[in-house]
Amino acid sequence: MTQDLEMKDRSTPSNSASSPAPSTLHHLKEIASLIETGSYSKEVRRIARAVRLTIALRRKLTSSVISSFLDFVLTPASEAHAKLSAYLPKEDDHEMEVDAATSAIQTPAKHLLPELEIYCYLLVLLFLIDQKKYNEAKACSSASIVWLKNMNRRTVDVIASRLYFYYSYSYELTGDLAEIRGNLLALHRIATLRHDELGQETLLNLLLRNYLHYNLYDQAEKLRSKAPRFEAHSNQQFCRYLFYLGKIRTIQLEYTDAKESLLQAARKAPVAARGFRIQCNKWAVIVRLLLGEIPERTVFMQKGMEKALRPYFELTNAVRIGDLELFRNIADKFATTFSADRTHNLIVRLRHNVIRTGLRNISISYSRISLADVAKKLRLNSANPVADAESIVSKAIRDGAIDATLDHANGWMVSKETGDIYSTNEPQLAFNSRIAFCLNMHNEAVRALRFPPNTHKEKESAEKRRERQQQEQELAKHIAEEDDDDF
Amino acid sequence: MDPKLTEVSQLFDRFKAAFLRNDYETSTNLLSKLKVLLTEFRSLPPLFADTPNAVHELTIARDIYEHAVVLSVKTEDQDAFERDFFQLKPYYTDACNRLPPSPQEFPILGLNLLRLLVQNRIAEFHTELELLSSTALENPCIKHAVELEQSFMEGAYNRVLSARQTVPHETYVYFMDLLAKTVRDEIAGCSEKAYDYLSVKDAKQMLLFSSDQELLEYIKEEHPEWEIKNDSVFFQKAKESAPCKEIPSLQLINQTLSYARELERIV
Repeated sequence: MTQDLEMKDRSTPSNSASSPAPSTLHHLKEIASLIETGSYSKEVRRIARAVRLTIALRRKLTSSVISSFLDFVLTPASEAHAKLSAYLPKEDDHEMEVDAATSAIQTPAKHLLPELEIYCYLLVLLFLIDQKKYNEAKACSSASIVWLKNMNRRTVDVIASRLYFYYSYSYELTGDLAEIRGNLLALHRIATLRHDELGQETLLNLLLRNYLHYNLYDQAEKLRSKAPRFEAHSNQQFCRYLFYLGKIRTIQLEYTDAKESLLQAARKAPVAARGFRIQCNKWAVIVRLLLGEIPERTVFMQKGMEKALRPYFELTNAVRIGDLELFRNIADKFATTFSADRTHNLIVRLRHNVIRTGLRNISISYSRISLADVAKKLRLNSANPVADAESIVSKAIRDGAIDATLDHANGWMVSKETGDIYSTNEPQLAFNSRIAFCLNMHNEAVRALRFPPNTHKEKESAEKRRERQQQEQELAKHIAEEDDDDF
Repeated sequence: MDPKLTEVSQLFDRFKAAFLRNDYETSTNLLSKLKVLLTEFRSLPPLFADTPNAVHELTIARDIYEHAVVLSVKTEDQDAFERDFFQLKPYYTDACNRLPPSPQEFPILGLNLLRLLVQNRIAEFHTELELLSSTALENPCIKHAVELEQSFMEGAYNRVLSARQTVPHETYVYFMDLLAKTVRDEIAGCSEKAYDYLSVKDAKQMLLFSSDQELLEYIKEEHPEWEIKNDSVFFQKAKESAPCKEIPSLQLINQTLSYARELERIV
């Protein structure tokens, strides 16, 4: 579960590592100036870029670099400076002083932007989480959240959404997610009132994660169905949303929709987010099995996933063969894996599918078979196997899983001859639905085409406009003449 | 002791006495009074205020709602059951770190699972199941409901019916009886598709009737299309996918025309 948290971070490889960087501090200063220009020109894009650059620098952050950066950006005596410096460990005091002295001379006290202050919080928080100082991280993130609540600026939103994320992450690491649920809900409400869509998106995902952490699927679904939805701003957040949605739907037995969400999440996730994709694949495999599909072997052979998906591969195999005994053994063998993945309850549901597949195999291979043999082949462990087999078979017939009839007096099952499907309307219906799908796809694609506003007007050159106006005038004259003729 | 708390516990004692006497009318009346009184405690959900008597108040409120749930089963009122259960749930989920666990917790949770099964709310059944820990799943009351659901999904109906004999708690019997009715309808639906005919004797046994008379009445009411002759029940095997003799011309023309129209739009 924690792997997917790291998704965003891994997806940005630290490309600055190749060149011998002037110094991390220098980079940070550049980022600060980027934020400054972004803030003055109200360009959110620049700030988003600053956040991206910071993540690339993440591995190189040290206590001294951050504290000298704080001295550079914040007024040394200010409240924020004091608060933030308190979180940093004071091991290499000496070096820091030198740095601070030089930077203090270079930059006389200047007007502080809220973006920069909040950025400092983010930086310190990142550092604390990387140093595994989770309690300090919790304190720092909570302080920043209090501060954020009173800050209504669109240029802050990008940094704020990252802060929300690390806020929740630091609480998750210490296992106190339940504590901040109320706070997250309040933040989501504030973000909605301020039309901060990125914030809403991030917070909704954090809330869903929060609920699902405690298996509160009911609450999660209620929130999800009522929260406002809009076009996704961030691919990563959208992937997460799809994953959570898929999980909720799986639990609520809407397998077809769940499969769609989970597969989409797995496809959209960046290649570097391996942990996240493994999770998606695990759930997708189970959902497909529950739907009665058998996932292809290539699903389990994806690079870097073979080992993690191994239990699910063997499970699929058991379902494919339709052997209850094998299924039971595998469920027991990997019980710890499945309960760690929290898929155990889903696997219990699969038993029913194993029986169905086994039954289908029997029905294909035999034209007539006694119910006692069916029970033996399915390895039903029960007190009264024949009666059980009879009712199981009759339910399978009703659900359309097999095409057969039962003979109670003789106690056997007679499979029907599979008729010639081409003598029915079936192929034509299938053909029609495929054509309809293609046509629909085309129409949707046309509808999704976007045109920049006013392009059709610009195309009209000055000459053409004159021509058109002339035509219109002539037409007007013509009409006027006709009017005259009437009199 | 807080006078309000004393009042509630006195009233609750009277309620319990009436409840034990199986005097459901009095107990229902007393219960509504108790519920009104409970609204005055600030330590109960949703406020969870930290008052000096909080633990005591929470315990007594939980006890009252547990009795309310059992009462609703005895009066066979499913709506009341749902209401009371939802009021009780926060005591199990949100107050569990403050209160000692209640011995009634698992029987009541299992009862709720059974109710969802009877009402065929399978999605909610599984949502509730996710909330239970692995130790809870081992509890006989919960396990009973989970196994019932499995047998029900597989179609092993006789296992569902035999489970009535092994109910872990006396309150379960009411829902098990309801479940038996559902199972009978399911069996009837399945037999209709699976068999060409059944002898009256077998049909009676399968549909759990004690006399031929009951069976005949059931068929008359629920499945008038079944035919009875030669001491056997014949199911109407209509709707077979017979080979298509006619070409559905009108439908074909419509489809072809719509393809032409769409293609024209593309080209």
